[in-house]
Amino acid sequence: MKVHLKIKRFNPEKDSKSWWGEYDVNVDPTDRVLDALHLVKWYQDGTFNVRRSCAHGVCGSDAVRINGQNRLACKVLIQDIVKNDGDTITVEPILGLPVIKDLIVDMEPFFDHYKSVMPYFVNDEALPADGRERLQNIADRERYDQGTKCILCACCTTSCPSFWLNDDYVGPAAVVQAHRFIFDSRDRAAEERLKILNEQMGVWRCRTAFNCTNACPREIPVTQLIGEVKKALATGEIR
Amino acid sequence: MATFISTLWEGVRYRGGIGNWAYLFHRLAGLATLLFLAIHIVDTAFVFFAPSLYAHAIDIYRSTPFMFGEIALVAGVLFHGANGLKIIVFDYRPDLWSHENEKRAAIIVFAVTIILWIPAAIIMGNNLIQCNFLHLCGE
Repeated sequence: MKVHLKIKRFNPEKDSKSWWGEYDVNVDPTDRVLDALHLVKWYQDGTFNVRRSCAHGVCGSDAVRINGQNRLACKVLIQDIVKNDGDTITVEPILGLPVIKDLIVDMEPFFDHYKSVMPYFVNDEALPADGRERLQNIADRERYDQGTKCILCACCTTSCPSFWLNDDYVGPAAVVQAHRFIFDSRDRAAEERLKILNEQMGVWRCRTAFNCTNACPREIPVTQLIGEVKKALATGEIR
Repeated sequence: MATFISTLWEGVRYRGGIGNWAYLFHRLAGLATLLFLAIHIVDTAFVFFAPSLYAHAIDIYRSTPFMFGEIALVAGVLFHGANGLKIIVFDYRPDLWSHENEKRAAIIVFAVTIILWIPAAIIMGNNLIQCNFLHLCGE
């Protein structure tokens, strides 16, 4: 089938502002949007740029806005967003991060927020007697399971109106990463993380628009996890 | 940093579903209510400081565009209140933040707003027609 691709283009060396590039490509209904983007780059316009690595929904490097919603280009099938032959698919870079070129954005500000919530295991207590793992029961492991699914694609953070308005806000992805450690029974730095998230640009910037949960390609209930962090801050209880 | 205007525009363009619309209306209704209250406090203060300006302010309040605006403002206040209650409930029960619940809750909020707004709009609209179009109100 034929689809009409409308892609937001921007080359900082040539363009003063972004423009729409339009391309017709022949695809199978079961192809992904990433395949269509490849057809443009490989056969129509080699100057077009899109970032992707694994191309199978694991690395999270091809987050873009497809038909007005943040998605991974490698996880969206053409047949799921196009009804008729010749229909248009719009593809734009995710919003809120500086555009480097075409669909590629600078992820550094996003990773700076990620690093700010101490996304690593902290426990200086002595190792168990056998000198090996700090064992955990099934319920304790289940408690933070959702947060472990995050692939840091930035679909959630760049769908958040609070982040669009103020990019100093840590954003949903950083809160999810903090949640993953705050609710880990083996970790000992929950209070420090909660203190960071209790600041002005922390978790209270979340206005519960719910865009993050809808955008997450890993189906993480992002708004719920943010709500749990808020509740931990409000009640002082980590449960 | 994206500007306020571009955030507003992107908020309208972004296809986040009913939750996104609820967020947008909530923020706009909050801003509109805040603006109205600020104006209202100032013009009420005119009674003491500048009575002639107060009379002028009342004339503006009775103008047709302003009365239409007040009818819309009531919808905004009702929506802001209902959606605020939704957020309070969900913040106490974060496990309720699921796709289905969010959609259902947002529809209920919109429905409650309309149900409460209709009688207010009828009363205020009737007043508007009587006074500004049929000129049946006394000075």
